[in-house]
Amino acid sequence: MSITLDQVTKHYAGAPVVNDVSLDIGDGEFFVLLGPSGSGKSTLLRAIAGLSAVDHGRIALHGRDVTHVAARKRGVGLVFQNYALFRHMTVAENIEFALRVRHMRATARRQRRQELLRLVALEGMDQRLPAQLSGGQQQRVAVARALAHKPEVLLLDEPFGALDAKIREELRRTIRQVQRALGITTVLVTHDQEEAFAMADRIGVMNLGRLLEMGAPHDLYSRPATRFVATFLGAANLILARRTPDGIQMGANTVAAAERSPGVEEREVVAVVRPEEVEVAASRDALSSGYLASGVVAEVVFTGALESLRVRLENGVQAPLLAQPDGAAGASLLVTRTQHEQRGFEIHPGQSVAIGVRRVHVLPTPLSSFTACAASPALADALSRQPLLAELAVRMKTRIAMRAEPQLGVPEAACAADGPFVGTTALASQTDCAHQAEWLLRRGAQDLLVVPEHAAVPQRVLIHWMGEGARSATLAVSASVLRHLSAEAVYVGIFPEQSARARAQHGMRELLDARSEAQLAHGLEMRTELRFGDVAQELALRLAEAPAQMLIVGVTELTRFAERFSGLLDGGQWPMLIVYRGSP
Amino acid sequence: MAAALPSALAGDATRPGQRTWLHSLVRWLFIAVSLTFLAAVLLAPLATVFVMALARGLQAYLHSFADPDTAAAVRLTLTTALAVVPINTLFGLAAAWAIAKFEFPGKSILITLIDLPLAISPVISGMVFVLLFGLHGWFGVWLREHDLSIIFALPGIMLATMFVTFPYVARELIPLMQQLGNDEEEAAITLGAGGWMTFFHVTLPKIRWGLLYGVVLCNARAMGEFGAVSVVSGHIRGLTNTMPLHIEILYNEYNFVGAFAVASLLTLLAALTLVVKTLVERTGYRRR
Repeated sequence: MSITLDQVTKHYAGAPVVNDVSLDIGDGEFFVLLGPSGSGKSTLLRAIAGLSAVDHGRIALHGRDVTHVAARKRGVGLVFQNYALFRHMTVAENIEFALRVRHMRATARRQRRQELLRLVALEGMDQRLPAQLSGGQQQRVAVARALAHKPEVLLLDEPFGALDAKIREELRRTIRQVQRALGITTVLVTHDQEEAFAMADRIGVMNLGRLLEMGAPHDLYSRPATRFVATFLGAANLILARRTPDGIQMGANTVAAAERSPGVEEREVVAVVRPEEVEVAASRDALSSGYLASGVVAEVVFTGALESLRVRLENGVQAPLLAQPDGAAGASLLVTRTQHEQRGFEIHPGQSVAIGVRRVHVLPTPLSSFTACAASPALADALSRQPLLAELAVRMKTRIAMRAEPQLGVPEAACAADGPFVGTTALASQTDCAHQAEWLLRRGAQDLLVVPEHAAVPQRVLIHWMGEGARSATLAVSASVLRHLSAEAVYVGIFPEQSARARAQHGMRELLDARSEAQLAHGLEMRTELRFGDVAQELALRLAEAPAQMLIVGVTELTRFAERFSGLLDGGQWPMLIVYRGSP
Repeated sequence: MAAALPSALAGDATRPGQRTWLHSLVRWLFIAVSLTFLAAVLLAPLATVFVMALARGLQAYLHSFADPDTAAAVRLTLTTALAVVPINTLFGLAAAWAIAKFEFPGKSILITLIDLPLAISPVISGMVFVLLFGLHGWFGVWLREHDLSIIFALPGIMLATMFVTFPYVARELIPLMQQLGNDEEEAAITLGAGGWMTFFHVTLPKIRWGLLYGVVLCNARAMGEFGAVSVVSGHIRGLTNTMPLHIEILYNEYNFVGAFAVASLLTLLAALTLVVKTLVERTGYRRR
């Protein structure tokens, strides 16, 4: 491996800007770190270069641990967004700088310089000053300068940011050629997904300091695992659907039967439909793909090669659409069509069309939507406006439904509302909360979020499960929640007090197992902690340490549930997500 | 004509890049105003200095400098400037570096403190040192016991001058270094350069014009300082009189030629600094 990052964390003013990032980049690989501004990608790159220290974790280059090695001794080449050429030196002096530092002889320096200038197609520019060059040429010089000392790793920090489109494309090609010719391991940071697609062997998508997903461009585009990646890499329609034994059901229609697997439990899922996978036709019969609904064309935009449509779904379709890529919610689908498709069926705004879906991808996230549950509609409405819940829904681009249960908490009473519990159920934290939580869990709620009235977005999330049966579900839910928070994740393993000595060894192994499973199966990086004592008590102690924390607890059985958790739940100050996997 | 003027104003004058009669009128008007103002406020007083100095002929003018007290004053002023300017240059560089490149608690307080000497009356700047090192000051007794003199001696003059002039280099450099940023230094470091190499090959060339300007200002003030030095020097002829102080004494003794002769020398020294600065800049630019 050329570059190995192990749980790299960097805090700025108390908040993590790089949050537990682990990553392996292979020899000669072109790796692109992609993310919106403020996602921590540049900070991570600077950490690799040694220009900013990390608070936690390890960085290794070619197997050599460089976490505490000074930047000048790391042997990396770094290219900055604004070139950072030495403005008072000529092109030649700029390129030879690293060689002069290394006391190379003048003739050898000149030879190497000419070699590099040829590589970046700038021969004969030796005696120019940076100010006499265009932006594209300056960046070429910067690339040549960064390569002069034959670094093992080339790092590029938004190198095309300040250039116009034509030059950008040309320089992209040059850099890719140079990288291939030298076989040098390269990391490029960008916020431009098109650039990432064009250049990368592998892309890592960052958001809120976390490395969410990585993979080959095509895999990430066609099979994203998270909402963020689905909507950040190109445009996507996010749709709440149901996974049934027959396939993916959106509203009344089953649109995709491809992923048929009879063993699958029926539940709500988040489906991704790319705009180019949506088909529009004059009538249902004219569709060549699975029928979704009928709709009215709201907007037609010509963008050159493609035509971009916004189609509002007609009544009678219950498929609730989640947010659009631009953040506008509402039941309208984004569709793109090629010239060929446009010639086949011309479309004008206001026209009624039948909508089909060619391909559906289901996100593996266990958290689809929220249902605010309370004793009356008014209370449920108030709960749905609770800041933390509302913020989570916005970040997860999902909706909050409402459900009134007048008998909530009354033993032996049945559910008032029809239908099963869908998605994550939310419950307000109050005096009788533990009993109400148990009541809901016994009646089919699987993921239950208890929100105190004044709970804010957490900075730290504690994770714990009671019983191995809840382990993988708890990890999946935790990973899904944490993708939308910049909080750090801590798994707290708790064992009974009396077994402290005997179990310490075993406990450590369990923690490490949990960590590696979180990492491998869910891409979740978390810290681990070992404690001895009563579960609820230890968790309460840990929660009391700092404000803005959240608790995720997995449970497999409900005996004595209310009794055990009344201390944490009844009138508690911390939001708590209960993941219940057992027989209701 | 009365009708032509408004139309000319509406049409030609508003068109950029058009050389109309109105355009040139405005141009000459501005140049004339600037020159008149400059002549009245700057050139006339300066000319007076030289006219008064040479009022009794070149012989008398040169003779003024033969006076041993005058020569001592010139020597003292130059010595003070030679000691103070390098020290303040180093301090200014260090302060500007710290402020521009690092985040630390109390940074804004440091910036305010650097400005303090500009805000405080020079007399008070001098008084501070008298209160510290004077006979009845905090360290007065200790200093006398060890037979050290600061006030009414060279060290006091240097300290007061240093205090008054230390903002100049830092003030010039802080905004410049903040604006230029850290990228070039970071690039140098990733290329393998150490601290000194980065400073001398990257930072210093980048800030040299600002630094030079700061040094020139610092030097001008160091040679010309009157108030603070006046308080700590004790006005001992031939020993602790700097040029500005000596000018005052000569003037009060109605020795106008002597006073203006020293004044003209001080003016020439200031002019020389500016000429040196311009020359250095010129050669610097020509090399590029």
